[in-house]
Amino acid sequence: MSDERLPLGYSNDLIFELEKAFYDERGKGARFRTTTVGQRYFRARCLPRLASSEIGEILGTVAGALKSDGIAADVSWVDEERLLRIRVEGCVHRAVEENMLASGVEPFTCIPANLMVLALEEKLDRPVELAEIKLEEGACALLLVVFDKRPTLG
Amino acid sequence: MSEMFSLAQATLKVIQDRRSIREYTDEPVSDQDLDMILEAARQAPSGENAQPWRYVIVKDPETRKKMGAIAGGGSGRRFTAEFVTKKMQERFTGLQDEAKKRAAFEKLTSGQVSTFLADAPIDIVVCGKKDVWDLPYDTSAAIENMLLMVTALGLGACWVIAPCIDIRDEQRIKILLGLPEELKAVSIISVGHPTRPHKPRPRLPIHELVFRERWGEAYYKDPA
Repeated sequence: MSDERLPLGYSNDLIFELEKAFYDERGKGARFRTTTVGQRYFRARCLPRLASSEIGEILGTVAGALKSDGIAADVSWVDEERLLRIRVEGCVHRAVEENMLASGVEPFTCIPANLMVLALEEKLDRPVELAEIKLEEGACALLLVVFDKRPTLG
Repeated sequence: MSEMFSLAQATLKVIQDRRSIREYTDEPVSDQDLDMILEAARQAPSGENAQPWRYVIVKDPETRKKMGAIAGGGSGRRFTAEFVTKKMQERFTGLQDEAKKRAAFEKLTSGQVSTFLADAPIDIVVCGKKDVWDLPYDTSAAIENMLLMVTALGLGACWVIAPCIDIRDEQRIKILLGLPEELKAVSIISVGHPTRPHKPRPRLPIHELVFRERWGEAYYKDPA
């Protein structure tokens, strides 16, 4: 089965079932064990393109990869100093989050969000936390917190 | 005058006296006490008797400082995320004292709540072998055994998950301590002499916790 022929519904159902099984095992703590999911894609498709250390350009680079690879139709954001409000429209994984909600579980993993967190942490060397994933009409609203500095490790 | 307890009474008293201690004196923990704590851990139940637990005893101040920083950073991220989404405020609606509430928010969102790993005389890093079925259960049982022995010895300890809960922080701990891939860093137990006695934390009443034969019918009929 080639990449092109793999049905999206099949892939998303598998992701949903894996996430749900993990949530059933780990509860709300599952969220913190999936913070790096997407890192192989990040290293292959985003990291080589990341040149700038400016937040807008970092997010723009990740958004460009997501759009050119057909993962999301559009990504926009509002920078409120420590808070980043991000809208992801037309995400191919939207059905996963909808299935989670239908199962009574608040969505806890978002691949586009993880990619942006990985990119920001890589280029800014600042900790970033995904605080919220909200499903809105036609888009997912993400809230990221960007911290001032990494804890000093000596 | 010392009190007399049956074995069952003494066991329950140790269980009831356990506290999460986050402030320690400078007095070191003796090797004899540490041996007792580790022996208690070694005797924990284990599925298939796999005994997946392994421990790294950290006394070096610089390493403790780094572990405290990782723990504090992780807690700060998570609690700040809870705060900015207003979930923390919902969680604390029962606390009427605004000054206490602000202090709690500050302690949580700053990560200070978990940085005390740097100040404990000993940090026991609990690791688990991944090639077993019951890693989280076995290591948790071992940790509880340690906490009870700590209490019985008159010491204080805290079970700290903060530096291990997020896979990013766990990776930092693993690099810091040179842990191999086949081990999971489960938790860190800080141990020392408490600076002061601590009151018990509230527990849910037993009648809310137990059901008869199947879910829904209370086991204890009388809430009192």
